Amino acid sequence: MRNVRLLALYVRRSFLEWMGFRSFLFTLVVNQAVAPVLGLAVWSAALPERSGISTYFIALLAVQLTTVSYEYHTVSMGIYQGNLNDNLLRPHPMVIAPLGENLATRAWHLLIGLPIIVIAMAATGVAFDAGNVVLALPALALAAALRFLFTYALALSALWGQQSGGVTELGTILVFLLGGLAAPIPLMPESIRPFGEALPFRAMLGFPAEIATGNLSTQEIVQGYGWQALWLAVFAAVAMVVWTAGVRRYTALGG
Amino acid sequence: MMLVRVFAVVFSMSLRRSLAFRTNLLFEALASFLGVGAGLAALGIVYTQAETLGGWSLGEAIVLFGTYQIVSGLLWTFIEPNLLWFRGQVVDGALDDILLRPVPSIFLASLGTCAPLGLLHVAGGVAVLVVGLGRLEAAPTAGEAMAWLLMLGIAVAVAWASRVLLASLAFWAPSLQPDVLYSAVWQFGRYPVSMYRQPLRFALTWVIPVSLIGTMPAQALTQGASPIPILAGPAAAILAMLLANIFWRAGLRRYTSATS
Repeated sequence: MRNVRLLALYVRRSFLEWMGFRSFLFTLVVNQAVAPVLGLAVWSAALPERSGISTYFIALLAVQLTTVSYEYHTVSMGIYQGNLNDNLLRPHPMVIAPLGENLATRAWHLLIGLPIIVIAMAATGVAFDAGNVVLALPALALAAALRFLFTYALALSALWGQQSGGVTELGTILVFLLGGLAAPIPLMPESIRPFGEALPFRAMLGFPAEIATGNLSTQEIVQGYGWQALWLAVFAAVAMVVWTAGVRRYTALGG
Repeated sequence: MMLVRVFAVVFSMSLRRSLAFRTNLLFEALASFLGVGAGLAALGIVYTQAETLGGWSLGEAIVLFGTYQIVSGLLWTFIEPNLLWFRGQVVDGALDDILLRPVPSIFLASLGTCAPLGLLHVAGGVAVLVVGLGRLEAAPTAGEAMAWLLMLGIAVAVAWASRVLLASLAFWAPSLQPDVLYSAVWQFGRYPVSMYRQPLRFALTWVIPVSLIGTMPAQALTQGASPIPILAGPAAAILAMLLANIFWRAGLRRYTSATS
């Protein structure tokens, strides 16, 4: 309970800190929005007859803004520059501080990105079915948790090599290619599709958008939730192992 | 001639600096090739579902993507590392340092340092281009190859001029941060402009000529060079560079220096 209160405080503090950098936030949101908007343009040009393309990519834009994770900047750079010292001394689990920053950043992304979503909906004439959106919300929450744990675990690799830019970049590329941004998983070639469905990247990004689009059967939705739960457990364990092993290696001066 | 010598020295210094961090170099190389590979794979997936994209076949679209990577790589290597932080130099007065040196300030401010690792993107782009050319039905003629090279030069010149123009805005409105919008719009260049719907297509061709980065050079190489871009292109590039110079000078007159 105490940790939840602390987390709420971190979220509040980070949210207020961001208020001073609103124009920078705007630039971050625009950068995050480019890939889904380009995906929308490409796929509607490639398959003009197919329904649901615009709905999918607009839902994906919302998911992208809600699950965005910058732990490379908050965690890795903290390790590199020695700012982690400050966090280690505090009487609470280390993860609370970056998690608080993460949640506040996502709230800002959604807030600033909302007009982009509304404009995209108006321009394409897309309307969402309320039932599908309700079904997608738990998947969105799981995707948000999963993407945080994934990026956090990658960022912690800086405890070994100091810089984790290459590793994090690799993660970003995988999420782009297999998460549903480069191509919606249902449109992937048959030979790759089963992998796309089972790998954790769709669970982080594409799956909630697919539910909101309304193209999935009940069985597919249940299966998708199963994959999400599995990967969430796996990455929670991975993040914990990486942290306990890595923090023993941590040496720093400064901070 | 002096500018060429300065440029060579700048490149050599920057290269030595980046070779000092070898592990990072390895990861950067890996990430850069994977990034190009991911873009290529994404394009490949689109073509498993469609025959053409905006009238372009897979081979033509790969040639376009390779050309886009080459121009982008040149921008990231030589221009972007200088102008990305230009606004800050105007705000805190660090521009004084550039103005005092015996080299034209516009040259030093826009090409005074470079990031040689960006050339990895150019190498990736060349590799993609070769893949794309291999998939074309007929190999391009020497004339088409020359036209491509010319259009590539025009694209780089216009990219430099537009980036300088955008950076010069800082003299009038230092609180604006238009850079990120530039890089966001830039990414629209990786696909054929004919793919976008109107009015976006019109805007990307005439208002913000993103079509110059990939579409127009690739068109010259794969679909034959048409005389209008070949004749009008160099004139447009010279005009853009002149404009950049005029704006730069006008901006400098407003610069009052802040510190030092």
